Amino acid sequence: MITLEEAKKAVIEDFSMYDEWLDKYEYLIELGKNLEPYPDEDKTDDKLIKGCQSRVWLDAGIEDGKLFFKADSDAIITKGIISLLISVYSGREPKEIAGDDFGFINEIGLKENLSPTRANGLVSMIARIKELAESYSSPKDDEVLTAEDAKELAPLYDNVVLALKQVYDPEIPVNIYDLGLIYELVINKKHEAFIKMTFTAPTCPMADEVLAEVKKNVADVPGIKACEVELTFEPPWDQSMLSEEARVDLGLDG
Amino acid sequence: MNRQMRIQDIRQMFPALSKSIYGKPLVYFDNAATAQRLKSAVNKMESLAYESNANIHRAVHKLAAEATEEYESTRDAVKDYINAGSREEIIFTSGTTASINLVAFSLGEVLIHEGDEIIVSEEEHHSNIVPWQMLCQRKGASLKVLGVDDEGHLKVEELESLITERTKLVAVTHVSNVLGIVNPVKRIVSICHSRGCPILVDGAQGIVHERVDVQDLDCDFYAFSGHKIYAATGTGVLYGKKKWLEKMVPYQGGGEMIATVKFSGTTYAPLPGKFEAGTQNINAIPTLKPAIEFMKLLRDKELQDEIKMVKEYMERSFASLRITTYGVPRGTEPKVPLYSFTVEGAHHEDLALILDKMGVAVRSGQMCAEPIMDRFGVTGMVRVSLAPYNTMEEAEYFFKSLEKAISMLV
Repeated sequence: MITLEEAKKAVIEDFSMYDEWLDKYEYLIELGKNLEPYPDEDKTDDKLIKGCQSRVWLDAGIEDGKLFFKADSDAIITKGIISLLISVYSGREPKEIAGDDFGFINEIGLKENLSPTRANGLVSMIARIKELAESYSSPKDDEVLTAEDAKELAPLYDNVVLALKQVYDPEIPVNIYDLGLIYELVINKKHEAFIKMTFTAPTCPMADEVLAEVKKNVADVPGIKACEVELTFEPPWDQSMLSEEARVDLGLDG
Repeated sequence: MNRQMRIQDIRQMFPALSKSIYGKPLVYFDNAATAQRLKSAVNKMESLAYESNANIHRAVHKLAAEATEEYESTRDAVKDYINAGSREEIIFTSGTTASINLVAFSLGEVLIHEGDEIIVSEEEHHSNIVPWQMLCQRKGASLKVLGVDDEGHLKVEELESLITERTKLVAVTHVSNVLGIVNPVKRIVSICHSRGCPILVDGAQGIVHERVDVQDLDCDFYAFSGHKIYAATGTGVLYGKKKWLEKMVPYQGGGEMIATVKFSGTTYAPLPGKFEAGTQNINAIPTLKPAIEFMKLLRDKELQDEIKMVKEYMERSFASLRITTYGVPRGTEPKVPLYSFTVEGAHHEDLALILDKMGVAVRSGQMCAEPIMDRFGVTGMVRVSLAPYNTMEEAEYFFKSLEKAISMLV
């Protein structure tokens, strides 16, 4: 497979072949028509990109560590643009995609030649590609911790867990840690905390408040420099994730 | 002077029309969104800003007197142009949206109570829906909808039965910004009045193409914007019958709208000042004067004939294409030169983008009228809307461009 830089160069060259924007549109229309079909049942609202006049769905899946995108739009030129983006970024490691600056878009002059609403749409598409790539590339697994590091980080973990235990589910009188809502907790050498968590139901009305509280509580732990919280519903939470303590509190084992 | 010269003469008054887009002459067919600016309107604004800039009404100095005279004589010009009963019935606002919001608040406060109903039509612009929805929410009232038939006609015959004793207000558009058909406002007004119900007419599109005589229409309110009739943006008018304006509470509090201010209480200025709080758009409102002069100029018979030829060409050409148009008039029913359409297999946004690259400016999307899009089961349309300065050559070029765009997409 060609490198990301080569793929970008190829697109820039393809585009520069046409002097007239009308011809560039013809090229985009052709790309749009040839885009792999996107299953109708996956055209759900959470895959829809906001900020476009036309509707655009974008999703990604990982295979052998490589991220593959699929997308669709009801407008063919938009579909061509998204197809072009996908052709450059699909099949690469999430980390490489997430780390890219997407500057080649400016080189082909796409943004300047789109209407402001369409240009916003393009920005939203790029943001979604980046977001998907980031969600698949964990920011911490490239670190090798020495015994020294581990010793230094251990008390931080304890304190972060204590901070998490101060946050309560708005509907159940058990803290979110013992409820089993915290799926991942990683603190890197820069003392940045990464938390992946869920809620008992995807429709929690207090979700934003709880996430903000988690972020604040953890960031306030002495020694922690920053905290990022990611929400996931994969896998969905169920009762088996409750801690022993929580089961007793809720009277589930008695 | 031959006929072709007529439209060409008018074009000279609009500097923007000589612009090139991507090296092609601009064909501006998005006039229903905003029209191009009249040179005399821009000149007026410039001369006010440079020569007569002072706050109106308040000070005694010469500049203030000039500015006040410009502003207040505009009120007289608007009053005469729409044949209002008195100058107190003309309130200046920032545009149609502001005019409607003013009524929704100020009349809503005194007229609408819990359980009351307000009627709007299915073909309204969001600006003539949302202010009423907000009012209903505030008061616990409900919004009822007068439907549109498959050809894009208001179901006026259903209005009478839709109005109940709880209906306190009706708000309909003079001309839909999507369908372009001129609604039988006079008939609608008389139905409303026979049931004791006041009516607001959204004239944003109506003022552009129709001779509006508010006393003849007998509507209680008529709202329109300056920027669609070639005046400056941020200018608008609310015509309201005195009997209603006097009953209504002020919209915004501040300077100029007061008679006396004491901490124990404030009394309000008489009309129209009561509804013009704070410093008004003093450099821009007077651009309505040259705009009105221009609108009167358009009444020229030969010019009208030439404009009509362009319009008829548009209508013939649309009919010959295999596309779906919305708002098809019955017989000789009046329709303004505003055409919304969809093409099977081609997205409205794609069509507009390709047309843009050919120098043709059209509108695509929902056009701030989502309910009517839902009514016809589409996510959006393409709209072309012409002004008197659009020529036959432009119309021909548009259809050539449209056919090219369709052939690229379908």
